[in-house]
Amino acid sequence: MKDKSIRWGLPILLILIALPAVVQDTFFLRVITEAIMWIGLALAFDVLAGYTGYLNFGHGAFFGLGAYTTAILMMQAHWPFALALPMGGVLAGVGALVAGLPTLRLKGAYFAIATWALSRAVQQLALIMDITGGPDGMRLPSFLNPQFFYYLMLAIVAVTFALLWFLLECSPFGLKLKAIREDDQGAMALGLNPTKLKMQAFILSAVPTGILGGVYAYWITFIDPASTLGDLVSDQALVMVVFGGMGTLVGPVIGALLIFAFKTLFWAYLSDFQLLYLIILGAVIALSVVFIPNGLWGTLRGLRSHKKSEEKKDESLAAKLPQNEGE
Amino acid sequence: MELLPQALMDGILLGGIYITIAIAFSLTYGVMHIIDFAVGEWIMFGAFAGYYLNKVTGLDPFLLLPVVFIMFALVGYLIQPVIHRVLSGNKGNPLLMGLVFTFGLAIMFQGIALTVFGFYSNSTPSVFSEGSFFIEKFGLSLTISSIRLAGLVYALAITAALHYLLKKTNFGLGVRALALNRESAGLMGVNGKQTASLVYGLYVGVSAMTGVLIGCILSVSAQMGTEYTIFAFFVVVLAGMGYLAGVPWAALLLGMVQSIFLIYFNPGHTLLAVFAILYIILLISPRGLFGRGV
Repeated sequence: MKDKSIRWGLPILLILIALPAVVQDTFFLRVITEAIMWIGLALAFDVLAGYTGYLNFGHGAFFGLGAYTTAILMMQAHWPFALALPMGGVLAGVGALVAGLPTLRLKGAYFAIATWALSRAVQQLALIMDITGGPDGMRLPSFLNPQFFYYLMLAIVAVTFALLWFLLECSPFGLKLKAIREDDQGAMALGLNPTKLKMQAFILSAVPTGILGGVYAYWITFIDPASTLGDLVSDQALVMVVFGGMGTLVGPVIGALLIFAFKTLFWAYLSDFQLLYLIILGAVIALSVVFIPNGLWGTLRGLRSHKKSEEKKDESLAAKLPQNEGE
Repeated sequence: MELLPQALMDGILLGGIYITIAIAFSLTYGVMHIIDFAVGEWIMFGAFAGYYLNKVTGLDPFLLLPVVFIMFALVGYLIQPVIHRVLSGNKGNPLLMGLVFTFGLAIMFQGIALTVFGFYSNSTPSVFSEGSFFIEKFGLSLTISSIRLAGLVYALAITAALHYLLKKTNFGLGVRALALNRESAGLMGVNGKQTASLVYGLYVGVSAMTGVLIGCILSVSAQMGTEYTIFAFFVVVLAGMGYLAGVPWAALLLGMVQSIFLIYFNPGHTLLAVFAILYIILLISPRGLFGRGV
């Protein structure tokens, strides 16, 4: 598993680092920067949804929390960006702790709706508070350096991916989470503490999301409750993860790239039909649940391992046959 | 203080409507073990069906209720097998997948409604829309609009009908058996698939009918669904999951909270208050107001 990840991960990382030198078009760079951001959001979503089995429909709230924290600290308290950004992550983590305390007691569907309702409440709060600028949103000083944001986004998402890869695929933590997903009573009987582990997963999912929200705020220079706290962030993260493959780290990356590419093309060529995008998004979720419940990556992997096991069967049969003849 | 009796009255009248939604909603949960994210969207589609049928035929929305019920019950009956297929799949995590599926449906429905109906907000006219009763006794004055009273009568009738269906008929016995233990119920001869389809159809039909009434009493708009999904969830969790007898109280409480915020505070803060109450109740007693939930 480990050498495979280095064999694939390192060349991709090198290509991505070299990319701005080759691509001079700022629009294209912007699109790639946002694609990387969505990969990060989908990965963070998958920690809770795919590995722990808890669907967080309020994922967008952490994104907004990070964005607003960074924006408020920069604008009202005049903090430098380098200090305000980590605070966005910290506050998202604290938010996860506070929100997780009651909601993580709920199971399955109830957890999903509770987090969803919570994110609606947070959006309402941002709409009525003075410090957030209400429905008008907030403006940040513009810092026009596409390369800076590209590398910042890349660094955050790469570190997130490496961290998640280490924690979820190469250490017992991932297995513990999966145990809770499959059977939390059984996990408890084996001496695991589901409440603590769920809380850790929740925070692990919230912190990168909050940091990405902070970068987004400074990058786009304008945030309002609809764009950062609205349904769309959670909805898109969900469809990316479900379409790509839940419970894997490669699946969300594939899903994020495909869905984001589709979204960009759709909004570029069919901007008059923005509402149609909502229908397509919903249809993609529903259809991929019915036809590819394991997502693209899960289905592909399933096919490959199926083939391998069949080949093995053939080999073992072939190995047996001559022996029988010998007797 | 003089507004308080009025606020309580409005709360009772409004809360009555939530009872019908929440009972059907938790019934579906009991049988299918799935929470339908699209509950608010069914209400929204029902409200639009009432609005347009009223516009085309000119009939009173109250006369249209059976038509809307049959229409939507059929839709629900036909959709349920797809959900069943998702839930009984052996790939991935079926329960989560069922949830994701209804969530996808909800997004799709919202998109369709916004595309077809636009962003406008309307209201369905009814014979009861205009009149109101004015009561003055013991130094208190109360105004009861007749449409809200009609809504309460409707809610009581539906609740009584559902109660009869559940407790007095063979079908209801099967539903309750399924909710208790699916496998044993199957062994005793309850057709699980058929019953689940019927329950889902019943739930969609009742939600849509209630939507028609909400369209008369409040308003019809393509974005209204989200709010009612949260309300349905609020009532079911507050009542205690799977504890049907708690539903009326929780629904009335929701109605009170809403009307009190409407009169005394900013109505825009209702959702915040609803969530704050939910949060506190879950912290203190995660099994609902009565501690009787699952």
